[in-house]
Amino acid sequence: MKILVAVKQVAALDEDFKIRADGRDIDADYLIRDLNEWDDFSLEEAMRIKEAANTPGDIEVVAVSVGPASVDESLRKCLAKGADRALRVWDDAIEYSDPIAIARVLAAVTMREAPDMLFAGVQSSDHSFASTGIATAAFLNWPHAAVVNMLNYTPGAKTAVLRRELEGGLLQELELQCPAVLTIQLGINTPRYASLRSIKQAAAKPIEMLSLADLHLVANDVGESGSSSRVRRMYLPEKGRAQLIEGDVATKARRLAEIIKEFRGQT
Amino acid sequence: MARDPKHDILFQPIKIGPKTLRNRFYQVPHCIGAGSDKPGFQAAHRSIKAEGGWAGINTEYCSIHPESDDTHRLSARIWDEGDVRNLRAMTDHIHKFDALAGVELWYGGSHAPCMESRSTPRGPSQYASEFETLTYCKEMDFDDIAMVQQYYVDAALRSRDAGFDIIYVYGAHSYLPLQFLSPYYNKRKDKYGGSLENRARFWLETLEKVRHAVGKECAIATRFAVDTLYGDAGIEIERDGMKFIEMADPLVDLWDVDVGDIAEWGEDAGPARFYQQGHQVPWTRFVKQVSKKPVLGVGRFTDPEKMTEIVTKGIADIIGAARPSISDPWLPKKIEEGRYDDIRVCIGCNVCISRWEIGGPPMICTQNATAGEEYRRGWHPEKFPKHGSDDSVLVVGAGPSGAECARVLLERGYAVHLYDTAAKIGGHLNSVVTLPGLGEWGYHRDYRELQINKLVKKNKASQVALGQKPLTAESALTYGAEKIVIATGSSWNTDGTNCLTHDPIPGANAALPDQLTPEQVLGGKKIIGKRVVILNADTYFMAPSLAEKLQLAGHEVTLVSGVHLANYMHFTLEYPNLMRRMHELKIKEIHNAFASRVEIGRLEVYDIWGDGSKRSYRGPGVLPREANKSHRWVEFDSLILVTGRHSHNGLYTELKSRSVEWTKNGVKDVYLIGDAEAPRLIADATFSGHRLAREIEEKSAQFPLPYKRETAVWGTAHMPGGRFEIEYKT
Repeated sequence: MKILVAVKQVAALDEDFKIRADGRDIDADYLIRDLNEWDDFSLEEAMRIKEAANTPGDIEVVAVSVGPASVDESLRKCLAKGADRALRVWDDAIEYSDPIAIARVLAAVTMREAPDMLFAGVQSSDHSFASTGIATAAFLNWPHAAVVNMLNYTPGAKTAVLRRELEGGLLQELELQCPAVLTIQLGINTPRYASLRSIKQAAAKPIEMLSLADLHLVANDVGESGSSSRVRRMYLPEKGRAQLIEGDVATKARRLAEIIKEFRGQT
Repeated sequence: MARDPKHDILFQPIKIGPKTLRNRFYQVPHCIGAGSDKPGFQAAHRSIKAEGGWAGINTEYCSIHPESDDTHRLSARIWDEGDVRNLRAMTDHIHKFDALAGVELWYGGSHAPCMESRSTPRGPSQYASEFETLTYCKEMDFDDIAMVQQYYVDAALRSRDAGFDIIYVYGAHSYLPLQFLSPYYNKRKDKYGGSLENRARFWLETLEKVRHAVGKECAIATRFAVDTLYGDAGIEIERDGMKFIEMADPLVDLWDVDVGDIAEWGEDAGPARFYQQGHQVPWTRFVKQVSKKPVLGVGRFTDPEKMTEIVTKGIADIIGAARPSISDPWLPKKIEEGRYDDIRVCIGCNVCISRWEIGGPPMICTQNATAGEEYRRGWHPEKFPKHGSDDSVLVVGAGPSGAECARVLLERGYAVHLYDTAAKIGGHLNSVVTLPGLGEWGYHRDYRELQINKLVKKNKASQVALGQKPLTAESALTYGAEKIVIATGSSWNTDGTNCLTHDPIPGANAALPDQLTPEQVLGGKKIIGKRVVILNADTYFMAPSLAEKLQLAGHEVTLVSGVHLANYMHFTLEYPNLMRRMHELKIKEIHNAFASRVEIGRLEVYDIWGDGSKRSYRGPGVLPREANKSHRWVEFDSLILVTGRHSHNGLYTELKSRSVEWTKNGVKDVYLIGDAEAPRLIADATFSGHRLAREIEEKSAQFPLPYKRETAVWGTAHMPGGRFEIEYKT
């Protein structure tokens, strides 16, 4: 039995940063990379299911990520925390893929690995689309649930019972047919830390590489041509638009009315 | 990152007499324990601040003559050519970084006990020092006045020769010029006493003479306590204070102003427990109304916003700082570079000051473990040697010591795992900061927490594991670290073990419902009754802090103290206001008393000095004095045991006992630091973590490397060309 955990290496801004010359992203030199915070929780959830099973050795936790060689660092973190295997998919054509294109790749990996469950984070902390996991479910045509904050699942079972966070503080409990795609919310568990020993051991473990051909995909399935959206530009909003209106109440009211008129183009 | 343009004003140069300060950051004179006898310490500690962006840097108070000898405390001295040679090391090193060096010329009057020189201090009138024990001065006649003024002139000339740019006539903290100015000391009836004009005469004449001697080459500064806080018994800012500033203004190039006196100089160097940043502004704001010269004010300024406000609002032109410059010698540079998060904010604990009060051992700092170690250990506050091996390090315990150790190891590029059962970095500080007035001590934790989190992001093999199960020896051994640092802290004794009897107190047991340790009080889970007795054998803040906290919460607190309550807080200058606080809250104290046993609801108390004063041999098993018969019962609803602490070193001891298993597990060494080694000041715990991180490659890194000592060298005379041999005048 197998649980596949899709993870992403996210980027965080360094103290100082610049926008890339094409204006569509941050210059990579100013980014600090790390495993997406949500993925710590989805990996931990998979590890707990494995460890709670009668024969944990029969359950395989596999981490997968789509990205260049630098992503190995995040996959090794998953291995250090106990994942049995790690897979990385890359081809230069994948660059500039949107979540839909990435989901197409993940769906292909899922078909190949045939897991009993696919976990992903609710969203990534950098781009926050919150769509990769659910889009993968769409490609697979699998049952799915987003924003899961409690899971009751025994590997091999035909259904899983889970709880989802909804708007307004509501919770929804549902039973879902397996295999399924679940996007896991922060706080569902307390992720473990890897010991130095397991970090060192993980450094020696292989990371399996998959190409587009291995997944029966072609270049047009990924990158901008395989995507449904395209980043036009990334920018910092203008600052300093707030202003303090001073004076007595009448003065303030008059000025406020003027500003509203200016804003509506009435002056 | 660039600094916020709103702070630009702090980086505008300002002219002081013939010299120019390159910005508005200025280290006012403060003691460090170097003086003129440890020139390397003096030069390194001051010049590291010049490198860190301070535009003006001063000595501590610098005695002008053997008649102003503060032994047992440690001042600088510029008595002779020997001192000139030693102080030149400081000015030379400061000048390398385009900063100005200042010297604070000091004559103490009866506040200088002259225990080394055995000279007789002179003063405006004869009085006994309220700060010293048994020190009187001789009242000066006109000849004496002229002579002492000439001491200032001679010292100023030597200072110029030593390379100083700014020369002070020091009149704050109740030293000589202020003794003339203040009617509290000056009872004269001649032209140097009585009216303000007469009382000001000594100070003005001295400034004139010093200015005449060196004013063309050096900036003349004066440090003035603009209000001595005694009302009309001393100097009040809006009366004599402002008038004196008007009178002296033409004679000075820089006003360095503060408030208070010497006996309670914690009103100037206000501890965070009582005073916040900028606490002197209500007094110092008057100075610029009457002065046309640059004014610098103090008040533990650490926040660039507040500093900017001080300058833009015209309260002062220059930001003076002593403690903030110790806590972060690179404060100006960090503001300049926009690295606001990296500022190591002074917590106002005054442990730096405590060392001077104790009598001059090298200064230490709770926040900055490198303070005082610049020269002798070669520690730079902001630069670290690259890691000396690829060993990974497990640090168990994220309190002051463990967090500092981890921070420095990370700065050095080691792979570090910092492990703690608590959910937050900080160890016992996380509860200490909830005590009345100690909130700012949390900056110690915040600095380390922030730096460690930044460093861990860049050092991928490292991590901070919080909220973990207690680490067993087995899991520590198999963790995979080559080096294991145990920083598991200490806790308060649950059985009354104390420094007086070195044994438990019969019946003392914090597991009982009506007895508590300080941790249990702070933990808030145990019910505390109305009548609280705090049994104290600790000389620092815990007992009085708990008394204040509980009395404020409506309990009736009685302190039973077998040691001088809060004795260390004399040294941190917290004592006077702490005592006022105890008094105004009506906290009862039974002092010089300790406990012989505890029963449910009552404590047997005896007077420490209750046994007989006559000593005689009475045979084995019999005390050599009349037995203490002062025992009586004191009732309580809750008893708090502040009797002593013990290390949590169980993990270390077990790892040590399993040293044969180290090699097969890849463990090279195990270390014990901080309170886990021996309970101590937060400053010393921080130091022990820092020290280990700097020396972890050494063969026996548990034990410090020798440091570079600075002492008098036999065979070398202090005076250039002088003689060192033993020579009797027979």
